[in-house]
Amino acid sequence: MTTTTEIEANPSGRTNRQTIGARAELSELAEARIPTLLGLKQLMNGPIRTLLVKGLAGTGKTTVALEILKAAGKGNGAYISSRVPQELLETHIPAMKETLQGQDFLDVRLEDATSALEFVMGLTEPKKVKTIVFDSWDALAKEFDSKERLRAEKTLIAVSNNSGAQLVFVSEEPGATTIDYLVDGILEVSTVEEQDRSVREFTIHKLRGTKIPQRKYLFTLLDGRFTFFEPYTTPSYSEIRKFTAMPDIGEAYSLGSPALDRLLGGMVPGSTLTVEYDEDVPYFALRAIELPPIINFLAMGRSAILLPLPGANTGLTSSVLTRAIGEGAPSERLHILDVLRSSDLKTTSMTKHATPDEIHEVVTNETTRLRKKSVDQAMLHVNSIAALENLFASDLDSLLEVTSQEIITLQQSRDAHILFLPTNSPIRSRILSMSSSHARLSVRDGAVVMFGVKPFTGVYALQHLEDPILPSLTQLV
Amino acid sequence: MTRRTGDEPFAAAFNDSVHVGLDKILGHSGTEAVLVHMKMADGLPDPVEFHIKLLALFGPAGTLSLEKAIVKHLGTVRSFEVMDVDGVLDFGATMNSVQRA
Repeated sequence: MTTTTEIEANPSGRTNRQTIGARAELSELAEARIPTLLGLKQLMNGPIRTLLVKGLAGTGKTTVALEILKAAGKGNGAYISSRVPQELLETHIPAMKETLQGQDFLDVRLEDATSALEFVMGLTEPKKVKTIVFDSWDALAKEFDSKERLRAEKTLIAVSNNSGAQLVFVSEEPGATTIDYLVDGILEVSTVEEQDRSVREFTIHKLRGTKIPQRKYLFTLLDGRFTFFEPYTTPSYSEIRKFTAMPDIGEAYSLGSPALDRLLGGMVPGSTLTVEYDEDVPYFALRAIELPPIINFLAMGRSAILLPLPGANTGLTSSVLTRAIGEGAPSERLHILDVLRSSDLKTTSMTKHATPDEIHEVVTNETTRLRKKSVDQAMLHVNSIAALENLFASDLDSLLEVTSQEIITLQQSRDAHILFLPTNSPIRSRILSMSSSHARLSVRDGAVVMFGVKPFTGVYALQHLEDPILPSLTQLV
Repeated sequence: MTRRTGDEPFAAAFNDSVHVGLDKILGHSGTEAVLVHMKMADGLPDPVEFHIKLLALFGPAGTLSLEKAIVKHLGTVRSFEVMDVDGVLDFGATMNSVQRA
């Protein structure tokens, strides 16, 4: 899964080969797993003695059950398999090989339910086994009528409770069965659609004696491991690190973040990247896409113009930029033009009622001025369509006309253009039709997800696992 | 099937009651699994040993429920009035008194 991308030196000769990807990605994933394991430990250390993990085939039940075994079993667990032998399971989920080998494995594929019950009694009576996973109980329970099944399930739970062992049932029966009423907790794993892409989700239906602050979470099985995503948390800008310039990727400009470069492949000069976002995407998540390309352009000796998102704190943005690359570059080669702030309009000699053409003229003049300061005359333009829409709500046609003109002008230069576009924008389809690439951000179960529409990519969860100004993207597979 | 000793009618009744009583709560497969696990599939030992093994597997609460079911059934087949088994039940003593009756 993890790949290493070698970047060739760009024509200006400023960079040598550089490796991106592998290390950052591994680190991002390693950190993403920490809350997962803690969560499962808390779950199984609480008042939950019996748990049902249910879901359709291929949704990740076995991996979830094995993660629970790993977290809670502490080497004193047992895995009872009625579906696959140990060798095959280790092949299917190589990341769990060690977990499987560290626990008892009972292959009951050719056993009847009575023998399987007896196996559980054999495991629980010495009171040594801490966690038992029964994968899957359905396969055996289907031999019973409903009354007999309920009694067998009660027997299993009674002997486990007496020994203090936790019992995890894995089930492929999506509907409620007798065991749903007996167990202390029910987790359901499923596959759901996110903009024509499938993502995995787990739902906590029941956890007796435990508060459930959130019932649904996204998760991934990347590298054969279960990693779930808690709601997006804003980064702490007190931990900003000194930014290291990221060289061009062949002919393309780097987006200033290894994760964004992996997703979108950088930005070809003259291209327009549109970042579309739903209204519930937190501003800090958008900033993680907005700032790295600007910082990198400045760090590479180039210039940039930013028309920030509505509500952006320009002071905070400047402070973040200064801490990342020092005071010199932002003050010399960056212009932040907050079109919604009258003080900014005054500094550019515009009236409060500036027209799209007038704004365009200011941007053109600033572009000319800043281009001269850019090491290779290349510029980055980052514009918020929402801010412009707010300003020109009554004249969207003019705005569209000016924006198209700007895109066409940029196509003929070596500049790069990033547009932030709200999904509910009235000019959305026309902006998108003019964009060379299109990424989309939305929120699902509290987590921010991002994916490329043009080019088509898988779905990634956006977090801030290392540097607070950079996004960490974990693929949802 | 039953390890019959001196009192064959009692042993047979005890054997039947254990099966019926356990079956009522654990089901057929649960009962079979318990008896196999306790190595009593070929015959039951004396009630005290049975009680100890049941206790190890199900704990006090589970054992009480199972023994109540056994005693209730035994009461019907041996035509004796079942003592109040809602509280504490001395399974060994109860079986002894049933056997002597």
